[in-house]
Amino acid sequence: MDGTITILKRFISTTMLISILLLVLNLLLLGLWIFKGMNEGNSPNTVVRQVAENLKVSGQSYSLAPEAAQLLDQHRAWAMLLDQSGQLVWSHKLPEELPASYSITDVAKFSRSFLMDYPVFVWEVGEGLVVAGYPKHSLAKYQNIYPVGWVEELPTKTALLLIANIVLVLLLSLFIGSRLIRSIRPLTRGIQALADDTEVHVEPVGVLRELAKRINGVSELLKQKRSALISRDEARSNWIAGISHDIRTPLSLVLGYASVLEENAELPEESRHQAGMITRQGEKLRTLISDLNLVSMLEYEMQPLQIKLLRLSALARNAASEYLNNGLAEQFVLEVDIADEGVQVQGDEKLLLRAIANLIQNCINHNPGGCRIVLQTLTGTDKNIGRLIVADDGRGIPPDRIPDLLELPYSAKRQRPLQDGHGLGLPMVARIAKAHHGRLILSSGSDSGLTAELELPRHK
Amino acid sequence: MENIKNKKLLIVDDEQAIREMIDGFLRKDGFTRIYHASYYAEALELSRTVKPDIAILDVMLPDGDGFSLLTALRQFSSMPVLFLSAKGEDEDRLLGLGLGADDYIVKPFLPRELLLRLIAVLRRIYAPPKEEMRPVFTLGNRIIDLESGMVKSASGEQALTAKEHALLTKLHAQQGGIVTSDMLCQAAWGDDYYGYENTLMVHIRRIREKIEADPSAPTSLLTVRGLGYKLMVKGE
Repeated sequence: MDGTITILKRFISTTMLISILLLVLNLLLLGLWIFKGMNEGNSPNTVVRQVAENLKVSGQSYSLAPEAAQLLDQHRAWAMLLDQSGQLVWSHKLPEELPASYSITDVAKFSRSFLMDYPVFVWEVGEGLVVAGYPKHSLAKYQNIYPVGWVEELPTKTALLLIANIVLVLLLSLFIGSRLIRSIRPLTRGIQALADDTEVHVEPVGVLRELAKRINGVSELLKQKRSALISRDEARSNWIAGISHDIRTPLSLVLGYASVLEENAELPEESRHQAGMITRQGEKLRTLISDLNLVSMLEYEMQPLQIKLLRLSALARNAASEYLNNGLAEQFVLEVDIADEGVQVQGDEKLLLRAIANLIQNCINHNPGGCRIVLQTLTGTDKNIGRLIVADDGRGIPPDRIPDLLELPYSAKRQRPLQDGHGLGLPMVARIAKAHHGRLILSSGSDSGLTAELELPRHK
Repeated sequence: MENIKNKKLLIVDDEQAIREMIDGFLRKDGFTRIYHASYYAEALELSRTVKPDIAILDVMLPDGDGFSLLTALRQFSSMPVLFLSAKGEDEDRLLGLGLGADDYIVKPFLPRELLLRLIAVLRRIYAPPKEEMRPVFTLGNRIIDLESGMVKSASGEQALTAKEHALLTKLHAQQGGIVTSDMLCQAAWGDDYYGYENTLMVHIRRIREKIEADPSAPTSLLTVRGLGYKLMVKGE
């Protein structure tokens, strides 16, 4: 849910920033435009002042300097001079409809607004009043009158307005944002569930319904793939189980008759020996089949586990004494070193014993010249892990070959082809560990030899 | 012993070659009354008419499975049954034994193995129950009588306590082999070795005092460091 909060925060801050920028931009543009409109060319006040300044008096006659006349013409404006009593004394292109005399009321009226719809502007000169008039409907005149108090409060009011705007934007963006988040939240939940590999259905509503449909589609696709994968795993496992089943019957006959021949006293010694070879090889094949079946069941998580509470130390002693009782070649030394007697795990006794036996057998297989094999049980540095270590001081294995040992024989993941043995022993141990939610770690010993660590979740 | 060989055997397997092979070495071993069936229905029919004394059943039959065949047989017969299966999975084994089969043999098997198990079942079911005697054996100049729980020597008799007796029985059952401390504790106290380390040591010392000439230099009851103990019985 952190994601949606972040999205909301980002959304609000971005919206606020954009709104403020827009406001500033608008104010700037407005100001610029008004300013420009007001100052287009010469303002009427400038024109009327120019006329007033350029009106020369010589006795009773008046003359306007040509540049001022030109200025008036440019604006298609006219001008006149009224004396103190409101009589027209001079004019320039005065429209004919205008009277020649004005009362004080007329002057007061037109100086504020229009003279017969002509926008007019006035300038005081010593002898009277210069009036410049623009064509009808060309200019609008406004007069702004404000109370002093209002003008004084203007900055505060502007600031308040600005703040109110910001608050409004904040609330609006919060509203829109939270609506958006409300429609995003099921989607983020859906995506989260997809990542956790669980089935999801997001109700396709709101603006994001297309996305919701997509998520549902992906979930459906994943479900199909998962079930396809499971059925393929099952098919593989069943295939291997089927093959081993089909091999068992003919192998029974091979083993059966070979061992009958081996025990037949009437046959020559050599033939009996050869029959014995057939029996031994048949037995090897038998082991291989059941190992293959077990590894396949473990690989595809179809092996049922008979879970019970087990003590690692007891398992180690059991496995070691089994080896010693069945006669261990004299070049091998097998020892048990219990560092922590109390480590208990939940596990399948048969499978774990098999795992330890495989690890011991691996030491024996790799060191035909003999070695010292030590079984250790201890608690991991992580108190929740019990460790069972099978270490030898034999010739060891180059570190770059170690990852290969845990892969199934003939697997594409193996870097090198199999060298000795059927190669199922260590992969089987790794899969037994995995079935117990643990793992098998192989490492080269400190100076020589191989160390195999079986890490299993410890029973508290 | 002889009447065991006279028992009627029924072999149920859809593979003729397997039936013939089993038939062959059973006859060689002295069995004569052997009947064959390759179908579920045939097996059921033969069981009703011939009334065999023991049956060897394949788990997979063309017209049914051995497990339901056993259930059907149990309606009218309590003869011992051995399963012979090409399915080795533990589940099947447990299912078979759970249904009341007397043994479960996985293919491929060695003839000797089948024969031994078959005879063991027959003997258990049909041989007159013998009074089972606990072993009596000699260690050095002492006689250990597990039947009476006594150790006899020139100097007289010493009784074994219940725990000492249980430990010695377990050790003797696997004489010459290592018995782990865990197994000994299971035998004597029905519990893990954990917490019984000293108790076990004390009991072993007491046993040595009774059976060894020199308890501090044992020659019969040996310590296997880190694992357990073993009992060496010479020339029994």
